[in-house]
Amino acid sequence: MMNKLRLSSVFLLTLIFVAVMVLSGCSGGKSAAEVTPGTDNNSSKSGGSKDEQVTITYYTIDSEDRTFVEKLVPDFEKEHPNIKVKVDKAPYEQFDSKLQTLIAAGKSPDVTSHYGYGGFAEYYNKGMLLDLTDLIKEDGFSAEANNIPDNLIKIYTINDHVYGIPLNMYVTLMLYNKDMFDEAKLPYPTSDYEDKDWTFEKMVEYARPMTVISDDIAKTQYGLDFFWSERDNRPLYFGADPYSEDTWTNGGVPSETYFDTPEVMAAYNKLFDLIFKDKVSPTTEWSKSVAGQNGDPFVAGKIGMSVGGSWNLAGANDFPFNIGVAAVPWGGNDKVRSTLYVDPLFILKDSKHPKEAFEWIKYLIRADIQEKSIDLSGGNPPVNTEAAEVYYKHFEGIDPQDIKNVYEGAVKYGFESFNHLITNYSQINDMFINEMQPIETGHKTVEEVMPVIQKKVTDIIKR
Amino acid sequence: MNTVPVPKRRAAFSSSGSKRKASTTQIISFITLIITTFIMLLPLFFMVSTSLKSKREMLKFPPTFLPESWQWSNYTEIFDTLQFGTLYKNSLIIGVVTVFGTLISSALAAYGFSRYRGKGNQLWFMLLLATMMLPYPAIMIPQFIFFSKLNWIDTFLPLIVPSFFGSAYNIFLLRQFFSTLPEDLFDAGRIDGCGELRMWYKIALPLSGPALATVAIFAFIYSWNDLLAPVLYLSSTERFTLPVGMASLTSSRFRIPPWHLLMVASVLAMVPIVTLFAVAQKQFVEGIVLTGIK
Repeated sequence: MMNKLRLSSVFLLTLIFVAVMVLSGCSGGKSAAEVTPGTDNNSSKSGGSKDEQVTITYYTIDSEDRTFVEKLVPDFEKEHPNIKVKVDKAPYEQFDSKLQTLIAAGKSPDVTSHYGYGGFAEYYNKGMLLDLTDLIKEDGFSAEANNIPDNLIKIYTINDHVYGIPLNMYVTLMLYNKDMFDEAKLPYPTSDYEDKDWTFEKMVEYARPMTVISDDIAKTQYGLDFFWSERDNRPLYFGADPYSEDTWTNGGVPSETYFDTPEVMAAYNKLFDLIFKDKVSPTTEWSKSVAGQNGDPFVAGKIGMSVGGSWNLAGANDFPFNIGVAAVPWGGNDKVRSTLYVDPLFILKDSKHPKEAFEWIKYLIRADIQEKSIDLSGGNPPVNTEAAEVYYKHFEGIDPQDIKNVYEGAVKYGFESFNHLITNYSQINDMFINEMQPIETGHKTVEEVMPVIQKKVTDIIKR
Repeated sequence: MNTVPVPKRRAAFSSSGSKRKASTTQIISFITLIITTFIMLLPLFFMVSTSLKSKREMLKFPPTFLPESWQWSNYTEIFDTLQFGTLYKNSLIIGVVTVFGTLISSALAAYGFSRYRGKGNQLWFMLLLATMMLPYPAIMIPQFIFFSKLNWIDTFLPLIVPSFFGSAYNIFLLRQFFSTLPEDLFDAGRIDGCGELRMWYKIALPLSGPALATVAIFAFIYSWNDLLAPVLYLSSTERFTLPVGMASLTSSRFRIPPWHLLMVASVLAMVPIVTLFAVAQKQFVEGIVLTGIK
């Protein structure tokens, strides 16, 4: 009968489909096993004989300035025939979720960095990181031999145990719009950190003639954007440290915080005065309307001087105006004027091949590879001081000597960004963004908000 | 079922509109509608316009309305920077199979829920609906562990196979629709010697065009836009889907995102959704015509 025929054909189709699914499942299994270090059936854990091939996974952000490492893999594998490197990646927003899922499922990557929202202290306090001290000793690795400044290694050392090897180093620098300076007939600011004349007050003075506030949004421009580094990090520039000293040695758990002290509040007031009193800096609403949610109005040519991370340099060749780099002026703190953003490489605790993973790390910080990485990444700043000489020359139209001055000064007067050093930082950061918003929009004063923040920070740290 | 009355209202409107002269209120409401349409279309227009701008022009403020120089090459550049063709193909494969899976499984389950009065029928249905309350991040890790035990990581299977096990929302939607089908049709089918399965695909399915089209659109859009699951399960670039590739364009904290290329990708990513909607809209009308009983 026709009916029966049709019915059976439906079942046949379903059967074929199930079979296809099962078959493709098998073939999928093979490829998954290839890339998963956990499924290697070596009994000696790591290292072992030279012939035994292991696969390590390097987990990174899926963006051009990170995934360029894929181009370095073939060369590395040629040098280390027993090691295969698999690069696994995720977009920035999903970086932490994927990492947590991988670890929970026992498929932990071997090498990664704090590329997502969480910072070093968070990883450390969650017990995710492998102590590299023994590996370093066994290998005879030395930071000096790799031209890594000693103070950078110390950032990721807790109680003499090393947990991360620096890979890239971003610093804080000032970018200025030469066209706007020329128009206001101002001299260009210095790149020399030792120049005693270059102070916060002088910078505000420069900003005034460049500021034009007009009803015509196309004409409005501001002299200065000074809202750099994470919100809790900002008082440090003016000489007020909001976290107790022990934070920097005990793995990022402050015993005390000082957000409601007169010094810290005075620092915030000085900063917000730039918007509301001196009126040389834009409000956040204006910045967002000009440059979008996470955009930078400096890029649109509407800001005379902008202090920020040195990653702003990477887009410099595309800016539709001339730029220069300058030192962050002195603002009341004789030791710290710049925030450092040193990205280290970690080996995760669940790595099955820590020795091979360490080989990969050593390879990535070698002078020649760091040099090569500058071009491949489109301007990632190397941690290796030898390679840094090449980095300083990478940007068109900017004097390499200026970049060198600014970098060396920033390292000398630098302090690592708090987001890498304090535990539960993603929660602290979210809280700061929410609580400070009324100050940024001019609806509340610093004095009203800071006691609330002080209480909330204490609660988050205790979690 | 809010999708059903739409074509009816439309049909009534066009037939009466052609006969009568438009009144002042009608004219005013049409003008308002036209203006609103333009406002609604503005972001879309801006997307297309930005997709044709140069890298320098996209950073300009105030932004230009139309590109100063039309960069048609952006539309070829995206294929070099992103392996756009591969991403597109992968997303299409996953999307189409997911729609197929969702339609078969959800329609079968919904048919069961609407036609059988078994013991605990309601309880099962409540349980099914309760699964809708679980957000994806809550089941993310256990599901990942499960699929990794099956060795399905870095394949399309974890993204496709779950759709063959029904989805609560779609089952609910179809069950409600199947419940409105007249019992007489099924009685007639039974007299003619139809089995249940045959009644399902000879009577229930052909009469459910609009509902099935809705489910198909929902399933496709969900799969087409899904980002978190592909990010978790896929690790080889050649298996990535469109949203994963597009997210990579804005992933660097250290670079200015290439908005113009992102807009190109968005324009191209919109094409299947718009096409699907156009095709499915026709289905809505056909579904009504085919019903037979009113």
